[in-house]
Amino acid sequence: MAASLARLVRGGLGRGYNLARSSSLQQQQSRQQSSTETRPTIRPSDAVTHSQLSAFGEYVAEMMPKYIQQVEVTCYNELEVMIHPDGVIPVLTFLKDHTNTQFRIMTDLTAVDVPSRQNRFEIVYHLLSMRYNSRIRIKTYTDELSPVDSAVPVFIAANWYEREVWDMFGVFFANHPDLRRILTDYGFEGHPLRKDFPLSGYVEVRYDDELKRVVAEPVELSQEFRKFDLNSPWEVFPAHREPKEAAAKLEAGDAPSEKK
Amino acid sequence: MAGLLKKTTGLVGLAVSHSPHEHLSILYSKILASLEGMPRDAAYRKYTEQLISERFDHVKAEADVEKLEKKLNGGQIEEVILQAECELTLSRKMAEWKPWEPLIEEPPPNQWKWPI
Repeated sequence: MAASLARLVRGGLGRGYNLARSSSLQQQQSRQQSSTETRPTIRPSDAVTHSQLSAFGEYVAEMMPKYIQQVEVTCYNELEVMIHPDGVIPVLTFLKDHTNTQFRIMTDLTAVDVPSRQNRFEIVYHLLSMRYNSRIRIKTYTDELSPVDSAVPVFIAANWYEREVWDMFGVFFANHPDLRRILTDYGFEGHPLRKDFPLSGYVEVRYDDELKRVVAEPVELSQEFRKFDLNSPWEVFPAHREPKEAAAKLEAGDAPSEKK
Repeated sequence: MAGLLKKTTGLVGLAVSHSPHEHLSILYSKILASLEGMPRDAAYRKYTEQLISERFDHVKAEADVEKLEKKLNGGQIEEVILQAECELTLSRKMAEWKPWEPLIEEPPPNQWKWPI
């Protein structure tokens, strides 16, 4: 009885799936035939939203000039607020509690590692306001040894996210209720998402039959590491060109320097 | 009690308020008192005073709860009360933090430069 039921279900589902596939195929064909659009699919730039967001960004920056260093609106209409690391709790509390902002939900807390900078880690907070249907991004910076104030007193959701940032990057959060590893193995050493941590790591684990337990040994790659030179002959970011050399500033009375 | 009270707000943990006008008046006056301690040209004080006085005027003028909700345009009256409580705690914390002072520290050069 169970076998026959199973056969019926499988047959019915299979038939349904085939029907769905063929009908969607027909729909696709008809859509391709009907539309003669040749423009590429680029998101149209929304100037109204952009100006609204910049006005709001100016408002926020005016309210808290002590901590906010920079405010930007990206081309995709995302508001970004860059703050000093001492201002994490004041700015987050302001955005959560103020009547004109009401960003009550924290959707994300991550870090970005840029090793060439003095403060290599950039901590990023994403907030969402249900009342005003808007999102905002707050960015701070820190280096390997300076702690950042934990956002847990303000947003409880930050708990596991901060544990993850600690585990993956090594950023210490002061006043966190329970800062311990969350994704790596129990005795794992190192912070895997840093840019200087290799892809396959430093240790690999295997079960040793003689010792009758799992042992950690240095990793052995079967193939030598290959470094690919991925530079393209074309300029990658044409919109962000650096000026080649700034013209030497002349004091009054100096003769202009000779051109080489 | 003016009119029928609604049975529930529809939101978990938010009980229907029996005297919203009184509650809101107390909260708004407390917020305005807490803002008095800040310098007059602080942007937070300016904008929050403007906002709260506007809402306070609506509360004083309108006796019917539903019409008041529409005028305030902040969701249900219980949500407005909750928001006023948040604003009160915020203004007290702001008085400690003093965010209207100038920037504490400039970022290191090229900190926010992208692409690197």
